[in-house]
Parts: sequence; structure tokens; C-alpha cells
Amino acid sequence: MCVLLFNTELKLFVCVLYFAKSVELTGVKEEQAVAVTTPISSRDLWGLLVQRHPRLSLLQDQVVLAVRQQYVAIGDQSVTLGDGDEVAVVPPLSGG
Amino acid sequence: MNACQDENPMDSLCHVSCQMDQSEERKDVFKLSRDWLSVQEVVDAVNSPTCGAVSLFIGTTREDQVDGRKVIGLEYEAYELMAQSEFRKLCGDLRARWPSVTHVCIHHRLGWVEVGQASVVMAISSPHRHDGQQAIQHAVTQLKATLPVWKKEVYDTKDSSWKQNVECPWSSHSQLAALSEREMSN
Repeated sequence: MCVLLFNTELKLFVCVLYFAKSVELTGVKEEQAVAVTTPISSRDLWGLLVQRHPRLSLLQDQVVLAVRQQYVAIGDQSVTLGDGDEVAVVPPLSGG
Repeated sequence: MNACQDENPMDSLCHVSCQMDQSEERKDVFKLSRDWLSVQEVVDAVNSPTCGAVSLFIGTTREDQVDGRKVIGLEYEAYELMAQSEFRKLCGDLRARWPSVTHVCIHHRLGWVEVGQASVVMAISSPHRHDGQQAIQHAVTQLKATLPVWKKEVYDTKDSSWKQNVECPWSSHSQLAALSEREMSN
């Protein structure tokens, strides 16, 4: 008998950018080679970042992410990440 | 469509030319600058012999009082790459709503902006004034809602706080408004 196991979860590395308040909370503006899995829910991706920088939790409910320069709300939404992708932590905007 | 690379290390320039079926190429010009903004430069970027109107918005840093502290200036930062793509989407939205809009130019400051200085200058040209005036109002709102730019108010007491636009869907004001709306409808 042959049993096929499909590993549908890939591990790869992304670059994470921090802006505004999140820079003050983490002490960093950019992190290279952050290990993530794909696909991943935006909530889990956020959770991964909070695990790295617990003070980010202060932004809870007032933050979204950007993946490949597209806004992604924190929630059940599934995100597909590619190796070397750019992820950003996006506090409430205040341009203009 | 073609985009220019940075011409000046101080500025981040995105210059997109759209070939429409009119005789004139329509321009969407975006610049992030650490230097003071020139209103004339923004106006010149949208001027056109086919346009009878240039609609202009200048956002300036206001001397606000917050809890007895006086604002002395604003510190701006941006997710530059994404600001350029969001600008392009903003222009696409404007042009879909007001097809007569000819050229669009937005210059936005980065870094330190003293009270009284311009933080953002926007100009839109159109054959007639109605569309341009409507478009610029919408553009200001959309910029505040979508452009990945942040400003920190700096006070005379030397402390500071990051601002949140009410237009931004994930700001605390936005969520309070949504919450009270739900409570009122119950």
C-alpha cells in the first residue's frame, strides 16, 4: 500500500518593513530573512510578528499589513507569500 | 506606461505617462521630497493649452494646541514604493470618475515640516472647472485614506505623537465611528 503525504505548507523567508509607531515599538525599520509559512492567514502572519516583537500588540485593532504593496486586513484572509516578498506593518495612515 | 527612476536622491519621483486616444498624453506626476515644496512647480506640471482650469490644494502644517502643548512641526515618513503604486490607483480612480481630468500632480513632503510650511501640494487640470474641483476634493480624501504616509506631531514640550487620519479605515476614530453607528441602529 502506498500512502501519499502532501505537504501543502512551504517555509520561506520574507523581508519585513516597519513604519511610524511600529518602528518605536520594535526598535527596527527593516528585517531581512524572516521565516514564514505559505499559505498563511493574515492573523497568523501578524501573530508571527507579535511573537518576534511583543510590543507590537499595542497596535492591535489599529493596524493592517501590506504584502507586495497591497493592503491586507488582519483576519482569516489567506495570504500567499513568495520567497523574498516584502511585508510591511502599516499603522493608521496620516498622509496629507 | 513608463515610469522614471529616481532622478535626485533627495526626491522620489514617479512620472507615468498614459497614452489616451486624445492628442495630448495625460500625466500623473508624484514626488516625495525632503525639500520645501514649490506650488509653481506643481501647477506647471499640470498646465495645458486644452485646460481652462487648474484646481489646487495646498495642505499646510497648522499650529495646533493639544492639551496645553503647542505643535511646532510635523515629521513625515512614507512607504515610498507603495506610495507610488497607491498614487497610481488614486489617479485611476479619479480618471474613472472624471474622464475629463487631464493632468494630475501631487508633491508630498518627507521629513521635518515646520508650522506654516506646505506638507502637500496637489494640482489637477481639466478643460472646465467643475470636474477639476470635484476631483481635487475627492483626491484629498482618497490620499488621506490610502497613501502609506505617516506624520508625527512634535510639540514645544519636545514630546510627539503619531497622528491618525479619520479617513483611514483602520484608525481608532474610524472604528469608534463604526461602533457608534452600530449601537445607534440597534
